[in-house]
Amino acid sequence: MNYNLTKPGVQKEKTSTLSALKSLLKLITDEKKNLLLALLAILTNSAISLSGPFLIGYTIDNYVQKKQYNGVLLFSGILLVMYLVGLAASYLQTNLMGGVGQRTLYTLRNAIFNKLQHLPVAFFNQNKAGDLISRINSDTDKLNQFFSQSLLQFVTSIVTMTGAGIFLLVINVKLGLAALIPAMMIFIFTRILSPWVKKKNAIKLKTVGGMSAEIQDSIGNFKVIIAFNRRDYFRKRLEESNRKSYTTSIAAGLANTIFPPFYEFLSSAAQLIVLTYGVYLIADGQFTIGLLVSYLAYATYFYNPLRQLAALWVNFQLAMAGWDRIAEILSLDSDLITVPVNDLIIKTPASLIEFRNVHFKYPDSQEILHNINIKLEKGKTYAFVGPTGGGKTTTASLIARLYDPTKGTILLNGKDIRSYSDAERTHKIGFILQEPFLFTGTVKENILYGNDRYNNYSNEKLERVIKEANLEKLLSVFDNGLETFVLPGGDSVSLGQKQLIAFIRAVLRKPELLILDEATANIDTVTEKLLSKILDELPKETTRVIIAHRLNTIENADEIFFVNSGEVTPAGSFSNALDKLLNGVRVS
Amino acid sequence: MADQSRKQKGISSLLKPYAGMVGLLLLFAVISNGLNLWLPKIIGSGIDAFNSGNFSPKHFIRLFAIAVLIIFVFSYLQNVIQTYVSERVARDLRTKLADKISSQSYSWVEAANPAKLLTNLTADVDSIKLFVSQAIVSIVSSVFIIIGVTVLLLTINWKLALAVIAVIPIIGITFFFVLKNVRKLFIKSREVMDWLNKVINESILGSALIRVINSQQLEYEKFLEANKKALGFGLSILRLFAALIPVITFTANMAGLAILALGGHFVINGSMTLGNFAAFNSYLSLLIFPIILIGFMSNVIAQATASYQRISTVLETTETTGAGLITSKISGDIEFKDVRVTYGEKPVLKDISFSVKAGSKVAIIGPTAAGKTQLLYLLTGLLKPTKGAIFIDGHQVEDYKSESFHTQVGFVFQDSIVFNLSIRENIAFSNTVTDESLEKAVSTAELKEFINGLPARFDTVISERGANLSGGQKQRIMLARALAINPVILLLDDFTARVDSSTERKILANVHNNYPNITLLSVTQKIASVEQYDQIILLMEGEIIASGTHNELMHSSPEYVQIFNSQQSTSNYELQPH
Repeated sequence: MNYNLTKPGVQKEKTSTLSALKSLLKLITDEKKNLLLALLAILTNSAISLSGPFLIGYTIDNYVQKKQYNGVLLFSGILLVMYLVGLAASYLQTNLMGGVGQRTLYTLRNAIFNKLQHLPVAFFNQNKAGDLISRINSDTDKLNQFFSQSLLQFVTSIVTMTGAGIFLLVINVKLGLAALIPAMMIFIFTRILSPWVKKKNAIKLKTVGGMSAEIQDSIGNFKVIIAFNRRDYFRKRLEESNRKSYTTSIAAGLANTIFPPFYEFLSSAAQLIVLTYGVYLIADGQFTIGLLVSYLAYATYFYNPLRQLAALWVNFQLAMAGWDRIAEILSLDSDLITVPVNDLIIKTPASLIEFRNVHFKYPDSQEILHNINIKLEKGKTYAFVGPTGGGKTTTASLIARLYDPTKGTILLNGKDIRSYSDAERTHKIGFILQEPFLFTGTVKENILYGNDRYNNYSNEKLERVIKEANLEKLLSVFDNGLETFVLPGGDSVSLGQKQLIAFIRAVLRKPELLILDEATANIDTVTEKLLSKILDELPKETTRVIIAHRLNTIENADEIFFVNSGEVTPAGSFSNALDKLLNGVRVS
Repeated sequence: MADQSRKQKGISSLLKPYAGMVGLLLLFAVISNGLNLWLPKIIGSGIDAFNSGNFSPKHFIRLFAIAVLIIFVFSYLQNVIQTYVSERVARDLRTKLADKISSQSYSWVEAANPAKLLTNLTADVDSIKLFVSQAIVSIVSSVFIIIGVTVLLLTINWKLALAVIAVIPIIGITFFFVLKNVRKLFIKSREVMDWLNKVINESILGSALIRVINSQQLEYEKFLEANKKALGFGLSILRLFAALIPVITFTANMAGLAILALGGHFVINGSMTLGNFAAFNSYLSLLIFPIILIGFMSNVIAQATASYQRISTVLETTETTGAGLITSKISGDIEFKDVRVTYGEKPVLKDISFSVKAGSKVAIIGPTAAGKTQLLYLLTGLLKPTKGAIFIDGHQVEDYKSESFHTQVGFVFQDSIVFNLSIRENIAFSNTVTDESLEKAVSTAELKEFINGLPARFDTVISERGANLSGGQKQRIMLARALAINPVILLLDDFTARVDSSTERKILANVHNNYPNITLLSVTQKIASVEQYDQIILLMEGEIIASGTHNELMHSSPEYVQIFNSQQSTSNYELQPH
């Protein structure tokens, strides 16, 4: 499956704002009750603020112009009560609506993270980490800004606008229609320009994502930049992406700039229409001065939110563009599905692992493994040797089901490996990866990472376990033992130390099959001896698969496989394997 | 408070180079806003004229239309300039930051934390951009409108005006208190967001491990915890705002009520015209928005100020490199004199002294975390000794001009670092590389066959973190990168760890033949490949335990013999002729 998010052609058709919104709304079905309450509060509040001008207009016509001050005071009192109710309603609306926004954001973040956890390794290999991180961090932030700042305004603006529109039409249909003509123009104008504006913003977001990937690539590898005196490289590359981001941001900015002045212009035009036409109607006896004053207020109530909507619309579009990019991830599915047990089962006793006519290729590349047929038996030690790039890591990744074969089947204990649940499979198979990874935290947290068995152990208890597994000597290279704090990046821990942690982590999980992919490459040979002793002392039913260049690590193997140019062949004896290795023609 | 004003000055000083454009921006904003103030006046006088029976629609429409058109033109221009200024400020700030970062030392970048620097270059610059694009104009035009409206109201009817103007301090004070608390919460919520992002980042970078261990649920729980906190802060901030907005609206409504009750009184007793009464209502709506805007913008300013402060600390750091002046060609004599390196309390290297003659081959062996890599870092100036000094040809490393120094010392790092560039660009990474030296480096690193087998050969782009290459291929590309500069000194950090023995042997022979006079310092685990070296240094826990040739060490150092024995059985096989 192709997981590349930036690849042209793979991209889905651009979704419309409406359908993006629809899919987003699906996330907040739980919020119906709160949304309803919030809407009620918004309606109350809008009704109060909208009837204000009407009452004021009425007061002007009936009391101010007729010089009855008591009436003025009476209506002032009524308005005061209304405003107090409005105060409460408006508090409620912000609280409820904002709550919906915050919780939606929460659900959304969870959904994305959950999806990320469900996608296979292929997804992470096909996308730049920097780009992914930016996509998730900054795009959810765009949604965050929308939900925490704009959503409420957005809804209240629409409600107020609609209310004001109704008032305009109810008080006087003709004048109302005339006053709404500029609004129609705004609507048409927005409809025509929106796709263009959205596109510009999407392009901008993409270049910005590219820029963070660029920066991460450079700052993360700063030592190479210094050692090769290429400080200019960092500058040049950043300059390049900075320039790109500048041009696309200007283009997006100018596109966004079109709306506000135009809206303002048309809202003024509406006022002009109300005034001239209103005056004409008054002269005609169809309208009153008081109504004209409240009418002007309604026009403002209609057009002000409209203007706000213009600004909010930009935010909304940004949020939707961000949502589009996130939805792209959410729409992906793992291709590593669990299949029902196939009854093609081989008679017992089955091998622990069996490759049957396995082929493999990564998307967009040549086939890496051709028709592999091997068997790994319980309790034995296997070594995979062969030149760089021959397919050793790929073979191991298939055993751990980081990928599925393109063709053929892999059997685990005689059953299709795909029929095991992730929990079952990972429980049986331990894999020490070529590039060790640490989480920010202590050594203890790292070696117990994902370990259900020892997770709640105190340091003393854990130390006993470590001692029983002969691992305690390995911990001595850490200054504060289990409590040493480590960071994933940087040089606070050496590569060898990282490999030690990865080793301890895998051994403590007590897997049935332990794969070591050049897992001790940067560890000194004395310590390595110790490691191989630890491996020897694992329960005797444990199967070991060792990938290594250093021959001493594989000399005790029961069987050696020679992996080269996509073929995995039994090498027979150790010296035979050596011969192959030394004379073998490398085909990459 | 003094501190605060210094910061404020800081962020506005950022605008100095753009003074012309900012001035133009403000001018346009003031023109369009000034005209906006005039509109209710036109409407008011129109109503009055109509009331007194001498309303001239033509004159009225013309006046109104002209004002509106001018507003349109200027506010559009204002928006365009706004976009340009803010983007330019952002772009220039990024360039400045990049220049600064690129001229810093490695240890500085490590200490400053690459992730933080990334934030400086992205999120912090963005918040300053927001300040430039929105806050400046908003605040200036808001202040302008508030003052304008106040003056106009006072000239129409000062008594009523005072009642209306009373809303300004009330709203202002409410804002001040709410935002003060909001800001505190913002800082805390920012920390939570950083935490949240860290969990996301680690789950992406460690994705393979997570799948091998099946710890997705664990990651999800970590994330959930952070996300819950983020939700909590979001809701707390919300509650404050939920209180703020109703208070403002209510206050504004009270002012409207005052206009009705008091203004109505004035109209009834004839001291005010109906048109002015209507104008008062319009001005009230004009007055409220700017006050709210200032309140919100004060937030943008606070965030931008914090961002600018973070950026400033980067921009204000003194350049840690470039003091050296020596550009002469080096011959390769190396001397470490009482070199001590400590990380915090912990000594990594303890008073190391040794020397290496030009053209000789030296191996450094020792267990994990012995300080081997640090020795090489010291030699390249990536790391500075806490005490002592490193001399090359009798001059301290930092006395060399880095441009000429780094073109003479090639470093092959332990971890595979390849860039998302073509293979050619990755190998010819230093810009002193000629085609000839590239060719020589590639064949020395035994990469020729591999590269020729690729569809686009040298122009094949390596994907990020070299995902499309094997560990050994990356390692060999890194070797070629170091050799391509024709180095006088070559530093190998555990180079052979990921390269198979036969390739390793070929490569080392190639280096010997193609670069005969090279001074070689190799950190390694394998004794077999360095037995013939001129000197082997055994490093343990930051101390030199023994040094000498292989034969000397076999007689003098029990630790060395132990390491030798640990590899012995294999060496027999490896030495087998074939």
